Amino acid sequence: MGGLEKKKYQRGSATNYITRNKARKKLQLSLPDFRRLCILKGIYPHEPKHKKKVNKGSTAARTFYLLKDIKFLLHEPIVNKFREYKIFVRKLRKAYGKSEWGTAERLKDNKPTYKLDHIVKERYPTFVDALRDLDDALSMCFLFSTFPRTGKCHVQTIQLCRRLAVEFLNYVIASRSLRKVFLSIKGIYYQAEVLGQPITWITPYAFAHDHPTDVDYRVMATFTEFYTTLLGFVNFRLYHSLNLHYPPKIDGQAEVELKPAEGKEYAMDSESYLEKLSALSASLARVVAPTQEDDVEMDEFPVEGETAEQMDARRKEQEALEKHKKLFEGLRFFLNREVPREPLAFIIRCFGGQVSWDKSLCIGATYDVSDPSITHQIVDRPQVEQQVVGRYYLQPQWVFDSVNAKLCLPVADYFPGVLLPPHLSPFVTEQEGDYIPPEKLKLLAMQRGEDPGEESEEEEEEEEEEDDNDKEEEEEEEDESEKEEEMKLKKMEEQKTQSNKALPVKVTAGKVRLEDKQRLEQEQQSEEKRLAIMMMKKREKYLYKKIMFGKKRKIREANKLAAKRKAHDTAMKEEKKKTKKARHA
Amino acid sequence: MAAGAESLSFLGLTPSARDPATAVRRRNRGPRNRKKGWKRWAGPEARLGREIGDFLEDVTLQQRVAGGLIAEQPDAGLFFVDTGSAEKGERRKRKNKIREKPLHIDLVLRPDSKVPAPKDILSHQIPNGRKERRRQQFWERMAQRGVLPRSERRLQTRLQNPAPPREKPPEKGRLDPGRSFYDIWADDNPLERALVGQDAWFLQQTQKQRVKRPLRLQQKPSQLPAVEVIAPGGSYNPTFEDHQVCGGDKVERQLRFPTAAEAPTAETVFREQCEGLLEESGDEEEEEEEKEEEEKKEEAVGGAQPSDPPRLLHRPGKKTEQQRRKEKEARELQRRRLKALRCRQQQLFRLRSLGRQLRRWEQELLRRRRAREAKRREMEGRPRRLGRIKYEDPALEVQLSDELPEGSVLHDRFKSLQKRSLIEPRERAKFKRKYRLKYVEKRAFREVT
Repeated sequence: MGGLEKKKYQRGSATNYITRNKARKKLQLSLPDFRRLCILKGIYPHEPKHKKKVNKGSTAARTFYLLKDIKFLLHEPIVNKFREYKIFVRKLRKAYGKSEWGTAERLKDNKPTYKLDHIVKERYPTFVDALRDLDDALSMCFLFSTFPRTGKCHVQTIQLCRRLAVEFLNYVIASRSLRKVFLSIKGIYYQAEVLGQPITWITPYAFAHDHPTDVDYRVMATFTEFYTTLLGFVNFRLYHSLNLHYPPKIDGQAEVELKPAEGKEYAMDSESYLEKLSALSASLARVVAPTQEDDVEMDEFPVEGETAEQMDARRKEQEALEKHKKLFEGLRFFLNREVPREPLAFIIRCFGGQVSWDKSLCIGATYDVSDPSITHQIVDRPQVEQQVVGRYYLQPQWVFDSVNAKLCLPVADYFPGVLLPPHLSPFVTEQEGDYIPPEKLKLLAMQRGEDPGEESEEEEEEEEEEDDNDKEEEEEEEDESEKEEEMKLKKMEEQKTQSNKALPVKVTAGKVRLEDKQRLEQEQQSEEKRLAIMMMKKREKYLYKKIMFGKKRKIREANKLAAKRKAHDTAMKEEKKKTKKARHA
Repeated sequence: MAAGAESLSFLGLTPSARDPATAVRRRNRGPRNRKKGWKRWAGPEARLGREIGDFLEDVTLQQRVAGGLIAEQPDAGLFFVDTGSAEKGERRKRKNKIREKPLHIDLVLRPDSKVPAPKDILSHQIPNGRKERRRQQFWERMAQRGVLPRSERRLQTRLQNPAPPREKPPEKGRLDPGRSFYDIWADDNPLERALVGQDAWFLQQTQKQRVKRPLRLQQKPSQLPAVEVIAPGGSYNPTFEDHQVCGGDKVERQLRFPTAAEAPTAETVFREQCEGLLEESGDEEEEEEEKEEEEKKEEAVGGAQPSDPPRLLHRPGKKTEQQRRKEKEARELQRRRLKALRCRQQQLFRLRSLGRQLRRWEQELLRRRRAREAKRREMEGRPRRLGRIKYEDPALEVQLSDELPEGSVLHDRFKSLQKRSLIEPRERAKFKRKYRLKYVEKRAFREVT
């Protein structure tokens, strides 16, 4: 056995990875600069499969990068800019130290800057790629645009984020692409469908921030830096896809309407434009004036391998979507000053409604409270004095729930001072066997076009009992194991006998036989199933049992939740009764 | 002499001499790096010895100088009345006279002529003064007529129409809030306009084209969605059930106690322990069967085996070459025979078991592959371990009663980035001092407090 001895850690995975510190040294950058570069270029650390091999025998937890990634980073022109910036800072410090103000001025004038355009193009070679990655960008921009203008990050960043966010909101309004809204404890989740891509983002509430300490602001600011560039280019493209001006221009007609509300007291001239845009009340100017015959029916081409049924379903879906887009068309809203203006204005405008607010609240109000044509006034107070006839006074949740339900919900549940129904998440799709809360069931029924009817309070209890019965039945339907089916049959029989006992005895014509047939059929089916299970191989049987166990567990959990709900409801009901009695007394 | 006045018994002569009573403050010298050094210089005896030594030294000095202890001398022996002397004063005056005489160097530099130098008129005259004055008068006259000199005219024009601010406005970079965007995905975007239509090879060789991004980088480290929507229990006004599911029983979750239902009972523990065993025992049965089969076969083989070659007698000397060869040949022959036999038997008897073995092995491989894949899939969703600190999910956020919505989007975003393995979880860098701070009260305050 001749040959040289192979040295350890000179081939294989040990040479494919590089530790962070080595990478940093190779690039001649400081750690913060290295982090920034990696974030901007979209290069992330890797976890090697065999850490010990990569780490040259040591098991210490380190951050590794792929060597090829780092070699790729070496070609980046921004690296040089980072080094230049370092030198610039050094020179500036020196100039200040020597009190050479002229030199400092000159240096500041020639401050090295860089742009991220080429990185955007490199990371997202096509527009669709960029759209797919827009969730992060939007969330970050919305988050940063709400930051106070204090030392946490550059004021310029905040301004740019605000501008881009407002532009995007205006695009969503113009394209009517909003689909879902969810008010959570963290913030408001939105989902829009932009050019066929679902885009989800979260916006914080407008409360005062308490800045968490365990968040690295520098990292977040770097992400935002990149995402603002990305969002800018995406906005440009989106606006052009709708033939809108970019940077956005407010429609001339709307501008005339806005004139009376415009006041110097809101903003300086330099800022008033963005403020007006962010009011979201005016529509945008188009490059080409829209023709009236815009809604030409599209020719339909059957897709290959699609049956007539699928086509039908698709068409129905399309119609539903169109209907959803025009949800608030023709309605005129007025927002009281205590409700969150921006999200509500955004949502209402997204579905074709008109919206206004008090003149002193924000720029861009189009009509007054006293306008008789207002159909809905959004209020968040327990009582409203001086109600105007001819409009609904509603709590803000009505708007959000209506959007999620894809129909204008009955208003009675949302009157001021009424206990609101729960706000359900539109992002949940229940699978078979999952527990569905009764509120959601009601909603689904409404969507199907069935009218659950408005019950008075006396009827409510009966109705709830019915609900419970429904639930039980459903649960029984969901049960799939044969035993439970049998149990069900028995129960049905019992119920029948009981009902027979309860009723005055009568001789009825024999429909029994027919039912018997059904039952026989069922029994036979269940018997076959049992036999099939018996014939299963050991391994398959094991799998089958596992699956069944999972299903049963799900059902059990659902039942448990239902029971909990029932207990909760009864408790609530009793409380209600008590309070009612107290009120009567 | 305050110390001396206090202790009249002893008066030091040299400035270093001290009253032994005040010698406490004396600095101890000597090597202090060993215990011995410390011992020698510390302690009351040592101090006393030092004091006495000092005292005696001083006494001898006083006796030598003053002929006895100074304290015991009469005043006349120590002091005299200074009345001054005429001689001394005169000498001082003469010294002053010498001082008044200027130095030789100054004398040398003095002008020695008695005729004063002529005044330099030119230094007080303005060159071309008359001409200038006339020019000034001329321009004054012209200014009255409204004509200005050229330099003035140029200044005026510069004031009236200033130069364009700058040829190239300073680049504001990526954070300029008013920056403009363009269609970066169009065919003729400004980014690539300069390079369109040029030879790709030329561009590559001259490094004008950017290095292509490797395809591997287009994949994200995690398939998790960028914005994970909070569970329905996180609604600001959730249904009762969702709230329960999401951890309305928040306290329990936060303490991470297993619920009573989850807690392992004796039965489950036993079952868990038995689970592996039962399966294994099944395998063992199979293995036993196999063994039995093999044994049977071996018996069959043993029956067919030929008798061993005759053993050679042991001899103390070396084997001959021939013997070795013969032995080797015999061994080879036997081996070949055995092999042939085994082959035949395999063909005959082991066909089924071989097939079974193969199948079993394949199944085992398949099982392993599946297990591997399952593990990989499981690990895929999990955040990677990217550094010293492991990723930890943030605490569940549930609204309790009617408080304001809690939970920060910033925190959520940051955690999401970590969860998707885009950044490594880190601890905030702690400020660590190399030495301990020493607090000293300022002297001015010390007396007050």
